[in-house]
Amino acid sequence: MTQRLRGGPLQGVRVVELTKVWAGPYVGKLLAFLGAEVIRIESMESLDVTRTYGVKDINNAPGFQAVNPQKLSVQIDMKTPAGIELILDLLRHSDIVVENLRPGAIDRLGLGYATVKATKPDIVFVSMGMHGNDGPLAYQTGYAPCFAALGGLSSLVGYEGEPPAGMNVRYADSTFGTAAAFAAVAALTHRRQTGVGQFIDVSAVETMSSMVGDALMDFALNKVVQDCDGNRHAEMAPHGAYRCLNDEWIAVAVSSDSAWEAFAGALNAPELADDARFRTFADRQVNEAELERMIARRTLQRDAAELAAALQHSGVAAAKSFSSVDLVADQHLWGRGFFREVTDRRGQARTVVGPSWNMSRAAAIVDAAPRLGEQNAYVFGDILGLSTEEQQRLSATGVAR
Amino acid sequence: MSALRTFKVLELSESVAGEYCGKLLADFGAQVIKIEKPGVGSPTRRMGPFARLTPSPLMGEDASFDSRLNLERSGLFAYLNTNKHSATLDLSTAAGVATLAKLVDAVDVVIDDHPSGWLKSVGLDPATIETHRPSLVLCSITAFGQDPPPDRIHAEDLTVFHTSGWGYHTPSASNEKLPPLKGAGRFMVSYEAALDASLCVTAALYERMHSKLGRFIDISKQAVMASRVDYVLGQMVAGDMDVTTRRTAFDLGGPAGIFRCLDGYAYIWMSAPAHWEGLRKLLGNPEWMNAFPERWMELECTPERVAQCRHHLAEWLKTQEKEQASAAAQKLGVTLVAVNNASDLQSSPQFQHRQFFARVNHQVQGPAHYPTVPYKLSATPAKIESSAPLLGQHTDTSLSALQGQQP
Repeated sequence: MTQRLRGGPLQGVRVVELTKVWAGPYVGKLLAFLGAEVIRIESMESLDVTRTYGVKDINNAPGFQAVNPQKLSVQIDMKTPAGIELILDLLRHSDIVVENLRPGAIDRLGLGYATVKATKPDIVFVSMGMHGNDGPLAYQTGYAPCFAALGGLSSLVGYEGEPPAGMNVRYADSTFGTAAAFAAVAALTHRRQTGVGQFIDVSAVETMSSMVGDALMDFALNKVVQDCDGNRHAEMAPHGAYRCLNDEWIAVAVSSDSAWEAFAGALNAPELADDARFRTFADRQVNEAELERMIARRTLQRDAAELAAALQHSGVAAAKSFSSVDLVADQHLWGRGFFREVTDRRGQARTVVGPSWNMSRAAAIVDAAPRLGEQNAYVFGDILGLSTEEQQRLSATGVAR
Repeated sequence: MSALRTFKVLELSESVAGEYCGKLLADFGAQVIKIEKPGVGSPTRRMGPFARLTPSPLMGEDASFDSRLNLERSGLFAYLNTNKHSATLDLSTAAGVATLAKLVDAVDVVIDDHPSGWLKSVGLDPATIETHRPSLVLCSITAFGQDPPPDRIHAEDLTVFHTSGWGYHTPSASNEKLPPLKGAGRFMVSYEAALDASLCVTAALYERMHSKLGRFIDISKQAVMASRVDYVLGQMVAGDMDVTTRRTAFDLGGPAGIFRCLDGYAYIWMSAPAHWEGLRKLLGNPEWMNAFPERWMELECTPERVAQCRHHLAEWLKTQEKEQASAAAQKLGVTLVAVNNASDLQSSPQFQHRQFFARVNHQVQGPAHYPTVPYKLSATPAKIESSAPLLGQHTDTSLSALQGQQP
């Protein structure tokens, strides 16, 4: 087997992943979607929990498959010195390495930046941690909602006057991964110009802070600590989600006084447009609680999708709030190729979530997530140049399987 | 000098997504020229938070001075436009569009975030750009991509958020009586889209160094947000996870959540037996924990047990201070963390150690500590070298640089 060339801007770039769960693997997924060859180093001794979570077959784990399409897998036992030697050898043939193991674990394994750099001086080494690589709190660990809480994001999500509720529990890992992927490609660009690699230290908590940067600016400039404010917006009113028929919801964002008139018209509520309490943006902001109650009463008997279409027709930003059913059935996402079919080694098709972008001369995204060690022969034989006998010896001694 | 110093970027953006993308590139050293409407500038100049200004003798006396000054007060604009140059150009005139074409000749990248169709109106039709300008990297960020359905023409971050699944499913463990929440702040969706745009632009530049070829990049905010939940959505679309209309369809369940403390709020995550045993040590083996079966969170996670557990957590945490509780918990393997606000972050020893906030001295607003970026690069760190430009501050230099570029 030879390297699979899939086109795209990062074709020819080789990425090695020493990653777990979601944020780290998401970096590899984005780079693979841009055309890089991404190799996951895995082993039975330290298996990613997403390969086992809720299933018996580690090669058929839905969560793992969702985040690891278009990647290769090589099985190397990281807990043996021979395994570490093999990994260093692979890194010598690679451009980027990404790790999101527990704080300090990569150094303890003997794969810290100094060691890798001695082997491969121009490596781009991406290290991901909840608090980043250093600092008084770097020892702490946590999961996605902890990143959002620590980074100042959760405190802004909630109903007015109540404790923060926070974003949906799934938020944060993939954003963290995207920030890391961007930094890695910036470093790759620098390397192409100068031949110099580098160490990249990415903080999940700071990634969350950067998603609310303008709120942090309010404190920086004016010492104002913003608080949860339900669905309110400093420049728009009404701005929120309103219940419709069958417990569906419509999201509406009215950005001007003329949009407000159009909104009232499409809602068949001329009395709202005539109401002096709501005439200008400033009026609507002052009387926002009453405004929201009056709108909510008028959307209750409307079909969310139909009302959204009517509002759009009148020039108002509105959308049905998509449940999982709406999302999976969204013809626009299908038409764009956002949901697309990939195939595994045995010819089995599987639908995956594709990239957010379309681009000219894009990478072909066609491969499902790999079975554990699916590309052992390619990595050991084609990349590292080991003979069949040497590969058999690795397998017999348990370093690779 | 940072990673993207050799690249020239023209920014046509007039909202947060494109401006933040330009900032991410500029903070890595790219030379970004921002095009603004003469007299009024970017709409983000009229969005808060606004800096309070030190009074000047001209304030209130000179209307023209006041209106110009007002365009320089936005902290949002100041944050989003560090390291950029500002040139004013009226793109509603033929002469403006002709000048734009010359500017495009002189740059490597164009970033835009107007609705689809706008680029064509200024002579940069995505459909033909590769033929006419084969070496240009053109990136467009829009709500739904280049071909939005007719019922999605008008969009704001909120409405996009609600077409991505995040709206309907936020917060977790939602109260069915209350509406879903918008997320954090005003611009989460735009910041997220800017990350993908910056990634794609940089990857395109990487390849272009060898191939000399540009590309058109079409970023859909809806797709960006939906891709952020790939772990769940990928399982749903593959038929491996139930697809329902429940607002809790993305949730994990269990007692995790935000609780009130003496000095604010704390978040506690609990999913594994190790968390439960750590909590037992932390609380000194309280009686109530004995009523719970072993591994209950994995095997017997009933709503009653969750409610009971949350009740006891709430009772305990309201007697605690968040930092102290977190430090004690983390030592025992309990993932308890502080819920920080903007003030906490500015004084956080961790953020100070990592210098996440950088002092920037704005020409009109004065000095303030701006949030920076979440990645530290050892050889080419992102850096704020100059504060956001005044409206049209670099019009002359940017346009006169074109003189040398005439064919």
